[in-house]
Amino acid sequence: MSQPHILTRHMVANRTDSNTLASYEQSGGYSALRKGLNSMTPEQIRAEVKASNIRGRGGAGFPTGVKWGFLAPAEPRYLVVNGDESEPGTFKDRQLLERDPHQLVEGIIISAFALNCAKAFIYIRGEYPKPARRVQRAIDEARAAGYLGDNILGSGFSLDITLHLGAGAYICGEETALLNSLEGRRGEPRLKPPFPAVEGLYAKPTIVNNVETLSNVPWIVNNGGAAYAAIGPERSAGTRMFSLSGHVNNPGNYEIVMGLTWREFIYDLGGGVPDGRELKCWIPGGASAPWFTPDLLDTLVTIDDVGQNGSMLGSGAVVVMDETTNVVHAAHRLVRFFAHESCGQCTPCREGTTWLERVLWRIGHGMGRPEDIDLLLDVCDNISPGLRWPPAMTTICPLGPSATAPVNSIMTHFRPEVEAMIAANELVQGGVSIG
Amino acid sequence: MADTPQPELVTITLNGVDTEVRKGQLLIDAAEQAGTYIPRFCYQNRLKPVGLCRMCLVEVEGPRGTALVPSCTQPCTEGLVVDSENAVVHKAQEGVLEFLLLNHPLDCPVCDKGGECPLQDHTVAYGPGESRFVEEKRHYEKPIEISDLVLLDRERCILCARCTRFCDEISGDSLIEFVDRGNGTQILTFFDEPFASYFSGNTVQICPVGALTAKPYRFRARPWDLEAIESISMVDSVGSKVSVQTSQNQVLRINGVDSDTTNHGWLSDKDRFTLQAIHSEDRLRVPLVRKDGELVEASWGEALELVAERLGSVRGDEVAGLGAARSTNEEAYTFAKFLRSVVVTPHMDAQLDDALSDEFLAATLNRAEINDLETAGTILVWAGDLKEELPVLYLRVRRAATILGATLIVIHPRRTGLSDVADHVFTYRPGEGADTLRRLKAGDGPFAEARQALDSGPVMTIVGRTGGAEDPRLAESVAAFARTLPDAAIMPLARRANVYGALDMGVSADLLPGRVSVRDTEGRTALEDAWGPLPEGRGKHATEILQGLKSGDLKALITLGADPVGNHPQPALAGEAVESAEFVVSLDTLLNATSARADVVLPVAGFGESEGTATNLEGRVQKLNRIIPPPGQARTTWSVLDDLARRMGATLGAHDAETIMKEIASIAPAYAGIDWALLDWGEGRDGVVLPGPDGTQPLQHMPVETSVTATTGRFTLHLGRVLYDNADVVRNSPSLDVLVQPASAAFHPRDLAVLAVQPGDSVRLAGDYGTVELAVRADESLAEGTVYVQANMDNSRALGASLIVQVDAVRGEGS
Amino acid sequence: MMDPAIDRVLTRWSPERQERARAVLAAYPERRSTVMPLLYLASREHGYCSREAMVEVGKITGLTSIQVESVASFYSMYRRQNVGKYVISVCTSISCFLRGADDVLAAIEDETNTPDGETSDDALFSVEHVECSGACGGAPAVAVNWELIEGVLPDKGRALCQWLKDTQPETVLADEMQALFGGQQSFDWGIAEPQGATSHVPAFERYDSAGDAS
Ligand SMILES: Cc1cc2nc3c(=O)[nH]c(=O)nc-3n(C[C@H](O)[C@H](O)[C@H](O)COP(=O)(O)O)c2cc1C
Ligand code: SF4
Ligand code: FES
Repeated sequence: MSQPHILTRHMVANRTDSNTLASYEQSGGYSALRKGLNSMTPEQIRAEVKASNIRGRGGAGFPTGVKWGFLAPAEPRYLVVNGDESEPGTFKDRQLLERDPHQLVEGIIISAFALNCAKAFIYIRGEYPKPARRVQRAIDEARAAGYLGDNILGSGFSLDITLHLGAGAYICGEETALLNSLEGRRGEPRLKPPFPAVEGLYAKPTIVNNVETLSNVPWIVNNGGAAYAAIGPERSAGTRMFSLSGHVNNPGNYEIVMGLTWREFIYDLGGGVPDGRELKCWIPGGASAPWFTPDLLDTLVTIDDVGQNGSMLGSGAVVVMDETTNVVHAAHRLVRFFAHESCGQCTPCREGTTWLERVLWRIGHGMGRPEDIDLLLDVCDNISPGLRWPPAMTTICPLGPSATAPVNSIMTHFRPEVEAMIAANELVQGGVSIG
Repeated sequence: MADTPQPELVTITLNGVDTEVRKGQLLIDAAEQAGTYIPRFCYQNRLKPVGLCRMCLVEVEGPRGTALVPSCTQPCTEGLVVDSENAVVHKAQEGVLEFLLLNHPLDCPVCDKGGECPLQDHTVAYGPGESRFVEEKRHYEKPIEISDLVLLDRERCILCARCTRFCDEISGDSLIEFVDRGNGTQILTFFDEPFASYFSGNTVQICPVGALTAKPYRFRARPWDLEAIESISMVDSVGSKVSVQTSQNQVLRINGVDSDTTNHGWLSDKDRFTLQAIHSEDRLRVPLVRKDGELVEASWGEALELVAERLGSVRGDEVAGLGAARSTNEEAYTFAKFLRSVVVTPHMDAQLDDALSDEFLAATLNRAEINDLETAGTILVWAGDLKEELPVLYLRVRRAATILGATLIVIHPRRTGLSDVADHVFTYRPGEGADTLRRLKAGDGPFAEARQALDSGPVMTIVGRTGGAEDPRLAESVAAFARTLPDAAIMPLARRANVYGALDMGVSADLLPGRVSVRDTEGRTALEDAWGPLPEGRGKHATEILQGLKSGDLKALITLGADPVGNHPQPALAGEAVESAEFVVSLDTLLNATSARADVVLPVAGFGESEGTATNLEGRVQKLNRIIPPPGQARTTWSVLDDLARRMGATLGAHDAETIMKEIASIAPAYAGIDWALLDWGEGRDGVVLPGPDGTQPLQHMPVETSVTATTGRFTLHLGRVLYDNADVVRNSPSLDVLVQPASAAFHPRDLAVLAVQPGDSVRLAGDYGTVELAVRADESLAEGTVYVQANMDNSRALGASLIVQVDAVRGEGS
Repeated sequence: MMDPAIDRVLTRWSPERQERARAVLAAYPERRSTVMPLLYLASREHGYCSREAMVEVGKITGLTSIQVESVASFYSMYRRQNVGKYVISVCTSISCFLRGADDVLAAIEDETNTPDGETSDDALFSVEHVECSGACGGAPAVAVNWELIEGVLPDKGRALCQWLKDTQPETVLADEMQALFGGQQSFDWGIAEPQGATSHVPAFERYDSAGDAS
């Protein structure tokens, strides 16, 4: 299968120096900026982005053009770039930041122009010092070259970009938690409404977009929204970066046009499962997504097809598990992540995720009880009533409900295995109850 | 004053029933008003809703099906369809309770909150039968003392953020916060830094569980043993609504009660914890009579006979009365009537010449209500530091500035509690107030923006004496200016709990009951019809009274809950006056510097021990209730005075407080129509605001502009109050007494350099009325040439309140 | 115009950090926003996010000390206890777990004689398991002072510790460590990275000026 190169065209062509301004300019970098600022109005750029049908790459998949349309008129207004990438399985933004920071910076400048923002922030997770350095250098180079700062390219438009480093909190990827974090507060998600587009950073209208989303903007401006929309299925337009990891022969980031089958993705691109072992299941869209089993190998990789089958493409992280995987341990790892990353505001998430983690740990360590299965499901139900898709929530943000996905997945697909494990525990323990 | 416009109504469907509610009102409140109580933990009606405990979830119909939403953050809109009782909702509520209980210790039997704990109550009403949690609970070190008043038990905390929001939004003392995250989140102070807030008790009151408890109350009672009445706090003139809670005739707790008009449920720790003074060991229980130089116990008969005889042995106008500013209106009225019609003297003062003029306080035109702060566009505070003097008023001003967005201008000789939230802060050297006012009026230089803000009304102005050494007429000049501002509302400040009421009752050299000037002949005649002949002419003010006693023009002094020796701005004069007086009788609850020197001391009922009314700084009359008997043989003030009058061959007709109020209503024009039924406490009942000077009140005080000479001198004194000073109630409340800090002398750092002293060194301050030695401290917010000293402290009182003081460094012997 | 309270704190810091702090203060429209970057700078100044560091940040930002601690303690990277010269973070989230991260952690704990979550007696190492490092394609991943190494197998993990002990580099460079101890990468790193970490507090290295790191 050949992969198209939109987002990755420059880094693929310039393996060792794609991060520099010189190399970026040589392969046509900042031409979209010139085009946008010199020959287009903000309205026209917004219209192209809307026409591209691009949907947010941060996880929620909301159409970017529509979101931009919600931006309230008050001033000042801010553009905030979400580079917090912390969802287990996801490492695509890291590559975009490290290997092609100018593409992002160009995307930010054009978007800020289109949205009439004079200030933009890039929030990069604290564990990414190298990507942060690369982006900061790109910002500095762009400023020195006149692409940033006052009166950019003589257009009258001015922009300042500040890079903000996170400090170890996954929840800051949630856009309102990110804004709190930028404001110097605990990274606790806010109640919505109001949405950031109306009241965001410093209670001012704010657009939050993912790194990958904005990295697409230069291409869209250069080639037109229609050209972008023409790539791939209608409601999953454009190319998309997928992070493939786990039990596959060729883990890595893949820029693909959606609409291929999972089989093609995992076996043809990913090279299949190592050592000829059997595929047991995979997570189609990051730690928060319900799991898929091999019966779905021939369904399509599109936002809609995955949604219809009860999961999501989310942040584009595909984690493959082979037959040797102990699903209780795997689920525990995922739930442990959410328990560790819960901000602690909402009772069900704060208490529930930890409870789930501890029960799964017990089961995984020979101390499961038959009633634990119903208990786990009921605790999940109290965090995400009905355990339906898309999830209902008793919480402010979807982090808590996300933790129910692995639990519900193993109970749906591998219940006998969990039961067998508990039964074996009981044999070992002679039915001792733990109190 | 503030009229509320008719609210717009919308119809919501609540559990299948169409209900009319206020548009935009929070669903949780609307449902409660409609009779459906939705359980909650984090929601507190005076705090910004945060929707984090998730207890109040309800199901709401939306475009994409139903969703569970917190009713505490859901505004009511037309057509909202809500189910608060279906199976999904109940399951969610049960789930939340189970989650909360996972880590909550079940130590209810030893928890102060047991019996009034929403967690306990909700668990019974909505909770799961038993926990399915077999793992170990979260453990923390047992209660930690986070201040001298508050204990924190983190295991019990349910992380509702009420306490942190209170500190952040309401008091501004962000000293407790969430630390760590997720399941490890806990509430904490910074290392060993205490939760030193004047408002800490409010967090105890609103904590829904027993995580925050008050040391003075800890383990003292079980809620179900408590009896409670509503009343108002008599700690200051705000008139905060309180619930007084007793068990076995002991007041064990005072909680704030939510009142839209005054305190919004909040209290200062002084309001809350001076209750300890009620049951002080030192309360006066029996009459005392001086024999051979010692005060010894006597019978009421013996003591009253002695007083009657001594007062009868001098001319009426050789007697003076001071006090009643902490008494009820009924007590104050009886005091005034006793002095004017039985003793027949015009000399009386409810104040000690330490605040503002009587007429200004009683009858300012365009008088403001506290709630004018809710609608004010601009607020000018030129008064004492409100956080120190009237803490609950401070909270209301702070709210206006931070939550309601009013522009706040604060003018004071140094930074105040409001400086951080004010838009414009000006400091000046005491004595130069008139010049500062001139510059403000002119919008001179730095005043330009503030002057402009004063053009956008409504403008609420709070004026008071910024410090003990400031000319009191400055406040009147400020008020005269404030009256010219758009939609002006003016609040003249005095601190003592019922000083406004005492003045209204005529405990004043200038005023007769009902805000009638003693010069008003019509008013005088009307009063004489009721009381009989009145003494001629204008009476003496506090300072004149003390001078009269000292010179021998006056012979006898009656104090009612007043302590001129301890509190008058000229302490030496007050001491000499009391020494020179032929006869001094004190009616009081505790011995103070004055009553300790009296010839007769009569024990009277105090807070919680007698009923009556009081009038707050808005002119709001509210009811005080009795819940315990006075200690020992102490009696109500009016019955003591009534008895005394009879022994002096007269009658006051003071049989009970309610009858006295009826008489007040018939005599005092401003109080016409007031009766107790009108004042009964209850939901949404907040007393009655008396008509202002534009109504039926005859007296009209027009503040006049005065020029106060800016003085050149070595240092001008800013004698400012702090909340915990040497007031009797503080000294007799052990939990607060420990918080009193000694006074110091603060200077701008450049003045320290000029004086060649360092923080910690001592200086001698010599003023017109006395000399003290104090440790030095730096305060950058002071104007140069100013020395700031905390008023009314053991070690500062002797200085008195003179504007100019001579400052000299005290050099140690060895240095 | 600088506030004297800020100056009083900043003049205690090294000139370079003072300059960084002033740049940070200039970069945000609201003072409170500077808490996170200043916490990094103060941590660097004091070795970790000590009580003193939080007090100082409070003074600069106008927050109370507990407000600062409340923010600092929310984030796992502000260390409120001192840590070793090399903080070794072993990712044990799902993808690394599937690829044997637990064994890597055990090997590193053993080699450094430092249990998960603790600091070695000689203060050379702190060892910890962390949640997803964003290197799932190069699982298992290990970071030394946040400089990432991908595809680290247990033996290579041991060798890494030994190397750190022996050479004790002042700056750890990802490229160098990857070449010596790494394996499968998440993606082709391609570009040589001349800069590395000089402490467990990230964000301090001068990545903000274009010229200095060629
Ligand atoms: C718990 C949680 C974590 C998230 N983490 C990220 C993240 O790391 N990066 C990201 O871009 N979006 C993340 N999101 C999604 C953001 O809230 C937001 O939707 C996104 O940044 C919007 O950008 P987009 O429209 O370009 O996708 C997260 C959402 C949730 C609920
Ligand atoms: S201490 Fe009390 S008020 Fe504060 S968060 Fe805990 S439960 Fe709520
Ligand atoms: S009361 Fe509504 S969420 Fe707590």
